[in-house]
Amino acid sequence: MLTLAGLSHHTAPVDVRERFAAEVQAGRHSLAELLALDHVREAVLLSTCNRTELYVVTDGAVDDESLIAMLPKPPGVDGQSLPRFVYIRRGRDVVKHLFRVVSSLDSMILGEPQIQGQVRSAYESAIKLQREQRLVGPVLSRLFESALRVGSRVRSETRLGDGAASIPSAAVELAKKIFGALNGRHAVIVGSGEMSEIAFDCMRQENARISVVSRSEESARRLAARGTAAVHTLPHLPELLANADIVIAATSAPHNVITVEMVRRVLPKGPKQPLLIVDIALPRDVETEVGETPNVFLYNLDDLHQVIEGTMERRRAEVPFAEGIIDSGVEEFQAWHNALEVVPLIRALRQRSEQIRATEVERALRSLRHLSDSDRAAVDILTKQLLAKLLHQPTVRLREAVAAGDGAGIVNAARYLFELESQLENDAG
Amino acid sequence: MSMIGILHALALATYVLAGALIASSLAAGSREVSRPALLAIVAAVLAHGAALAAYTAGYGELPLVGLAASISTLAFLIGVGLLISALLRQARPLAVVLIPLIGMLVLAALVLGVRPSGDEFEFRGAWFSLHVVTAFVAYAGLAIAFSAGLLYLLQFRALKEKNFGRAFRFLPPLETLDAVGQRALVLGLGALSFALLLGWAWTVRFRASLTLRNPEVIWGVVTWLVFVSALVARRGGAGGDRRGASAAVAGFMVVVLAYVVLRVMTASGGLFL
Repeated sequence: MLTLAGLSHHTAPVDVRERFAAEVQAGRHSLAELLALDHVREAVLLSTCNRTELYVVTDGAVDDESLIAMLPKPPGVDGQSLPRFVYIRRGRDVVKHLFRVVSSLDSMILGEPQIQGQVRSAYESAIKLQREQRLVGPVLSRLFESALRVGSRVRSETRLGDGAASIPSAAVELAKKIFGALNGRHAVIVGSGEMSEIAFDCMRQENARISVVSRSEESARRLAARGTAAVHTLPHLPELLANADIVIAATSAPHNVITVEMVRRVLPKGPKQPLLIVDIALPRDVETEVGETPNVFLYNLDDLHQVIEGTMERRRAEVPFAEGIIDSGVEEFQAWHNALEVVPLIRALRQRSEQIRATEVERALRSLRHLSDSDRAAVDILTKQLLAKLLHQPTVRLREAVAAGDGAGIVNAARYLFELESQLENDAG
Repeated sequence: MSMIGILHALALATYVLAGALIASSLAAGSREVSRPALLAIVAAVLAHGAALAAYTAGYGELPLVGLAASISTLAFLIGVGLLISALLRQARPLAVVLIPLIGMLVLAALVLGVRPSGDEFEFRGAWFSLHVVTAFVAYAGLAIAFSAGLLYLLQFRALKEKNFGRAFRFLPPLETLDAVGQRALVLGLGALSFALLLGWAWTVRFRASLTLRNPEVIWGVVTWLVFVSALVARRGGAGGDRRGASAAVAGFMVVVLAYVVLRVMTASGGLFL
């Protein structure tokens, strides 16, 4: 049976989630131990900063307690309180859950792109270990490959991943709406704290030419060491403003660092080319009136949140389309999975029929000793063909019924009518 | 309806389809012109080209003389210009202005009836064709500069007023619009200067004098001044891009207005397109 036990940002606080993530990252949780359990056939552990989920295929149903016991046991997390953070899914719900996870419908930020790579990497890690430990069998392999396919379809057929969904990406989106590509643009980062670091990394990714301005040269140098950048102190800010394309202000100063008087002094008629100033500091670094300067575009945190909210609204409108793709993927997987369940039955039916045929042919030939070798071979072939024709239609119908999801009754009837219960148990043993 | 008319109607229908697809992209909050819309534009321009080829084959002359034929050729060249600018992915939303403009021109040509005027011109042949085609290239360039300028002003306003809605998402970056507008103006000015020089040289060569009262000359000179003004407006101090965009929009309107005025003034007799 396909089962999932996990915890995520929906059910567990960040301190619990990070302990689980660290435990998995440290490699202290061994799936091989799980596979040593009699009833566990396949296992994949998915771990990101926001979720830890264990996907297992077991023989028969496993109770919640045993499933929770299979999860990693990070130090500092009380085993007694763990059940309230954990959710359990079984059968079809597991498929739907994983498809929603890969499509980022279950993510903290709807439509975020990283989850697909994280699922792929968890699956590939399990595949790497597969040769030694047989972690991934046919069911989980099919499940994860289907999930990644569904995730790709959701990404390409809907606009769930469109737009900026974080402060840095919103700033970059605004910059791109002014300058197109940011390659070679002069970006001035004012401040050297955590937000400045994020801004620096964003501008570096876009291949902008970066200047760092800070109160002390030392802190500016520390930030500039994250890449290639010119280093300046605050007194040089006015002259940098005069030839900047983008200014990102993120100091912790309690007063305005860029004032309208400063801008008017260095750019009395406004800049020749558009100048984008993004103020991500609290309290704000840039005087509001600076935005009234011709050709200057000034945005603060509220404006960036407005961009993000617009994105999220559009992403939420895409959810029904994504759910449609997911549902069709779930149906497809279920059809395959159901068909997988009928394989042992068909094999047992054919084996039993062949045993009967072989016994009866042998008995008949014993009383037909006058037949030549070629006649005996002809009788053997005739009965084989007869059997194949007789079993063809029931086999096809069984597969169809199971694939359609309404085959349980028919499968049970076939077991009963052909007395296959004991044979199936022997095969499973 | 003749084959030329049928092909024009087909081109018009495809332009309308392209317009509808672009409008749906915009309404859906898309970031760009969808692939089906782009394919519809290509199909429309191809159908339009086929209509003009049928005209050339049917009448044994290029569709450069007569109001309907000229309008159709101008619309076709704007369509070609749109396709060329669409090579730059970010510039594709220019279609939101240009497709309705082209559609209106093709409709006008259809209503007027696309056929030769029957008027006799002294100035004909290869030099005449070159003169008219380069002038039309210039007007197509002005239309593209107008479109880029208009979208620039809309995007500038959205950015300044922090209105991050559908139009903001759909419209190209200011830089792209500025670059497309500037190139269209430079190309247009070059083409128009060449066309005017050809016309002037022919007149001087065969008529020995050039009359500035000729409405075509007036329109040509007005258009040339518009091009120069739009390019000059870009130069100088702060906000040159925005001034250039405003000048392209205003200049296009001046050229259209000048055409209407000259057309009305010459309705009683003179030949003017």
